[in-house]
Amino acid sequence: MSSEYLIRSLLMLFLALFSANASNWLYLAKLSSVGSISDEETCEKLRGLIQRQVQICKRNVEVMDAVRRGAQLAIDECQYQFRNRRWNCSTLESVPVFGKVVTQGTREAAFVYAISAASVAFAVTRACSSGELDKCGCDRNVHGVSPEGFQWSGCSDNIAYGVAFSQSFVDIRERSKGQSSNRALMNLHNNEAGRKAILNHMRVECKCHGVSGSCEVKTCWKAMPPFRKVGNVIKEKFDGATEVELRKVGTTKVLVPRNSQFKPHTDEDLVYLDPSPDFCEHDPRTPGIMGTAGRFCNKTSKAIDGCELMCCGRGFHTEEVEVVDRCSCKFHWCCYVKCKQCRKMVEMHTCR
Amino acid sequence: MKSLASLSLWRIIILILPLVSLGQTFEYGWPDNYDKPPQCVDIPVDLRLCQGVGYHQMLLPNLLEHESMAEVKQQAGSWVPLLHKNCDPGTQLLLCSLFAPVCMERPIYPCRRLCENVRDGCSPIMAAFGFPWPHILTCDKFPQDDMCINTPNDTSTSEPNGHPPVCPPCDNEMKMDVILDHMCASEFAIKTKIQEVKRENMDRKVTLQKKKRTIKMGTLKKKDLKKLTLYLKNGADCPCTQLDNTRNTYLIMGRKVDKQYLLTGIHKWDKSNREFKKTMKKLKSHKCPAYENVFK
Repeated sequence: MSSEYLIRSLLMLFLALFSANASNWLYLAKLSSVGSISDEETCEKLRGLIQRQVQICKRNVEVMDAVRRGAQLAIDECQYQFRNRRWNCSTLESVPVFGKVVTQGTREAAFVYAISAASVAFAVTRACSSGELDKCGCDRNVHGVSPEGFQWSGCSDNIAYGVAFSQSFVDIRERSKGQSSNRALMNLHNNEAGRKAILNHMRVECKCHGVSGSCEVKTCWKAMPPFRKVGNVIKEKFDGATEVELRKVGTTKVLVPRNSQFKPHTDEDLVYLDPSPDFCEHDPRTPGIMGTAGRFCNKTSKAIDGCELMCCGRGFHTEEVEVVDRCSCKFHWCCYVKCKQCRKMVEMHTCR
Repeated sequence: MKSLASLSLWRIIILILPLVSLGQTFEYGWPDNYDKPPQCVDIPVDLRLCQGVGYHQMLLPNLLEHESMAEVKQQAGSWVPLLHKNCDPGTQLLLCSLFAPVCMERPIYPCRRLCENVRDGCSPIMAAFGFPWPHILTCDKFPQDDMCINTPNDTSTSEPNGHPPVCPPCDNEMKMDVILDHMCASEFAIKTKIQEVKRENMDRKVTLQKKKRTIKMGTLKKKDLKKLTLYLKNGADCPCTQLDNTRNTYLIMGRKVDKQYLLTGIHKWDKSNREFKKTMKKLKSHKCPAYENVFK
């Protein structure tokens, strides 16, 4: 009894300490958008940063607004990609913003880490291209005439800088513990997979700006994909994530598939260590899991957004509500849009 | 019990509205959810393509992904000569709905029918100058519903009867703005006389006299200038009074397409004409928009 109580107390203490650090910089998204991170003094006051991140903040004060936009971008994209799932990336008003969901080594945590690393790389690169940051700009390695014969010009996205900054800022806590912890290895892998989702989908965008819109004069530049595309890629990796475990190879520790019959994961795949909870019930002991009571569901769907699965078999309420929407919109010269008001009865289903 | 149900209903309605708005925002919002939204700016006085279009403010970036006003002006400049041709009443409206789109909560594109009318009316004239209908104006991508821009009085234009259309390069107003616009849209311009005009397939072949003076060199080389032969594209049968009169001296403009030199403009060199004299004087200081420097 006494021994068991001591072990449980130590475990709870460990979890509390552990949870105090994981992915906490995402709390930057909760900052007021009116304010700006403009001086080193502000770095000390930011919640969610570990000491080394505070140091990076002080040395790169001008980059931090982009990091904050990256944090917001990560949360928005996560909530979009998981909008029809039981866990829908709901956030808390505390650190960590996703609660316990990201402190366990689940598939969901893998997605969060990947999308977060990607969003910082994305936001910083955008800040470079827009001229917001003096220390970086367009990618000047892209110039001259391409093998296809068009002129490289315009502003090629400096993705190398964005990725390097994301690596230094986001990965820093995992690297500070060395690479011994299986959770640290998982996080580092998934962070890099998130950044790869941008790197492997860079594309060439072109403009024809000859006379009368012709392509006699054509310039092209390398551009990041839209972040929705990045989110879609990482979500696909989430759906096909590989369960792994830690194994010693010589003096190194590596993550290998738990099931040896599975093919090894690549640098672009997501990996996870622990099975996910079912996310069905709200559990006060597990902040971040809200349960599915009250969630809208689709009565006719057999997928995860269907009522049977979304409500975990508990059943659902049905209510008929009147929805008023704009319809038959018409543009009038010059210049306004006039719409009619359409009313219709819609059946809404919510989980019990 | 009834009161409780009513409260529940209102709560659901309140929940629904943001969802509906969210759906609308997602469906009609700007394509990239990260970029800053376009800004509403005054149409500048020197964006000549869109003066008098019927509204005074535009979105920047525009619907052709031109990001700066310098880029808009530079790209719009080459379309001004087409306006002078009056090939379709909707030409300016189509072009400006893309180059200088109206300021609305969401982008309003030109209607497909407007685009098709302008394309059908103007692409033969553009072809005469060696320009295909450009990819940026492909009509299939424009909407067909009511949420698009059409000519305000949507009456189908009646075909002009009787006179065959004048050859586009020969159908020019003796006006400084028009001549300068064509000068900028052309690659070279020379002062010379016509030696011979001959039909060749669908075109007319124009041989120039040896004696030439270069007004605008462009991409032309001296050895090419010596034996220069110009083609009036698709101009075998259309009237061109300038080519009928070989005794006059002309200001001749052209551009190179593949291996042919196309005639893009021909004006009588008329020193007694005040407008022409003014144009020649202005030409010395006139600067065409440079296509390279916007994209450093």
